[in-house]
Amino acid sequence: RPYGGYEYPQQGGFVPPDMMQQQQPYTGQIYQPTQGYTPASAQSFYGSNFEDEPPLLEELGINFDHIWQKTLTVLHPLKVADGNIMNETDLAGPMVFCLAFGATLLLAGKIQFGYVYGISAIGCLGMFCLLNLMSMTGVSFGCVASVLGYCLLPMILLSSFAIVFSLQGVMGIILTAGIIGWCSFSASKIFISALAMEGQQLLVAYPCALLYGVFALISVF
Amino acid sequence: MGAMGGAPGPRSRPPSHPAPAHPRQRGGAGTGTMAAPGAAGGGRSGAPAAEWGGFEDNMQGGGSAVIDMENMDDTSGSSFEDMGEMHQRMKEEEEEEAEGEAGAGEEEDGEFLGMKGLRGQLGRQVADQMWQVGKRQASRAFSLYANIDILRPYFDVEPVQVRARLLESMIPVKMINFPQKIAGELYGPLMLVFTLVAILLHGMKTSDTIIREGTLMGTAIGTCFGYWLGVSSFMYFLAYLCNAQITMVQMLSLLGYGLFGHCITLFVTYNIHFHSLFYIFWLVVGGLSTLRMVAVLVSRTVGHTQRLILCGTLAALHMLFLLYLHFAYHKVVEGILDTLEGPNMPPFQRVARDIPVVSNAVLNTTAKAIALTL
Repeated sequence: RPYGGYEYPQQGGFVPPDMMQQQQPYTGQIYQPTQGYTPASAQSFYGSNFEDEPPLLEELGINFDHIWQKTLTVLHPLKVADGNIMNETDLAGPMVFCLAFGATLLLAGKIQFGYVYGISAIGCLGMFCLLNLMSMTGVSFGCVASVLGYCLLPMILLSSFAIVFSLQGVMGIILTAGIIGWCSFSASKIFISALAMEGQQLLVAYPCALLYGVFALISVF
Repeated sequence: MGAMGGAPGPRSRPPSHPAPAHPRQRGGAGTGTMAAPGAAGGGRSGAPAAEWGGFEDNMQGGGSAVIDMENMDDTSGSSFEDMGEMHQRMKEEEEEEAEGEAGAGEEEDGEFLGMKGLRGQLGRQVADQMWQVGKRQASRAFSLYANIDILRPYFDVEPVQVRARLLESMIPVKMINFPQKIAGELYGPLMLVFTLVAILLHGMKTSDTIIREGTLMGTAIGTCFGYWLGVSSFMYFLAYLCNAQITMVQMLSLLGYGLFGHCITLFVTYNIHFHSLFYIFWLVVGGLSTLRMVAVLVSRTVGHTQRLILCGTLAALHMLFLLYLHFAYHKVVEGILDTLEGPNMPPFQRVARDIPVVSNAVLNTTAKAIALTL
């Protein structure tokens, strides 16, 4: 082979051999993460065609329209949920809702972001195990976290109410019970439509009610 | 530079075999299998171009890693670029020697010749491979041992069944002559344990209980799950000793459903604070669920002594647990309530010389309660 001097690869990055076989072009879908989309290949991708890069929001998987749709599904408890809406695990909305919940608690004088984080993590884990045991098809952790996060929205209403009024009277108890029921009803509705578990809505709603009850406990006390 | 002309390619070498100083040894760059990390050492080539070209060959798994020195540059020292390159190479060699061996023995002869970038890539590839292998092994072990699917049949229930079993758990059976059926499901008991946790948390929050070492949530979960799992295991062990016909899942299920009485009692008495009410609930509700569990156990055990041991232990543990939960997690409220049950006077009201006659005990407890809240 002739000696050709320094011949560095054009992209300036070393692409490992197995990656080169598996690398797929970015198809622009935001629904599923593309396989093999590792930072190494992202760099080389970036190096080669800057104009073909997808827009930032699409690359991050944040689709505001879908977030809005899912929010509406949660807010109308009697609206029938579409089973497909939870196919994409979107954690941007739930993250926003958890932060909003923590912020409303902060406005009421309770600095409890740590509790919100811990309880949501443990709660999601518990629901994940339970739903995997109870459903025919399995469920992914991201889906569970996403659904539970979206259904936290009414709890934000409760904690914003708690900024102005105390929830420790009879009215507070009734309101809290109503909001817990609303959250768990929405969550169980989405779960059973996504997992096709008919007739078990109450069985799924009860653990959700317990989880949201703990959140309500943080808001009230 | 011991030239071993007939040496086979690095991939066919066993990994433990140390690679001798081998100028022709190609660095393991591009070996998709790290089967011969030892032989990957000493990789250097005189020509980067040849290296890159041969790199591709190596990746596809063909060809030997031995580079023919004949194809190396023959412009040794003649051109300016080569001088620069050799100078650079020597500097890098020094650096690498100074750094010492790193990775899977790639620098056996201490003269790892290659781009600095290449070595970085090599290290990264090694790490990548190790990660893949490790991940595969971990997932295999996980799917073998932590297979959650073995619990799947115990969660296959309908709401109607759960409700029926909850109600049945408060009704003692009459017939103890032949073994009573125990539903071997885990959904109901698990939900009841979680409900108990929630009720405990609620009770602790309303009474402003302060747990010094630990958190409220951790204490509640630890207590309830500890009771459920621990007492079930203990009773299962006793049942084994007393030759009772009961399996572990059935024991868990039985005890779990027995917690339904506890949940009702605590829910009511944490919100309505009367001692006498609690004792009534303790005897009636706790007693009913205990009787049910005892009857089921008796129906499955033979022999008077064994029945006595088993049922006595279970009854004692069950009732004492309810007592413990009531008193350990709600006691701060009692002190304050004693003062409130006296004459209805706010403590800081200034009434000169018109102090109504209250007993010393009430005054003392008021003072204590105020000191506690301060």
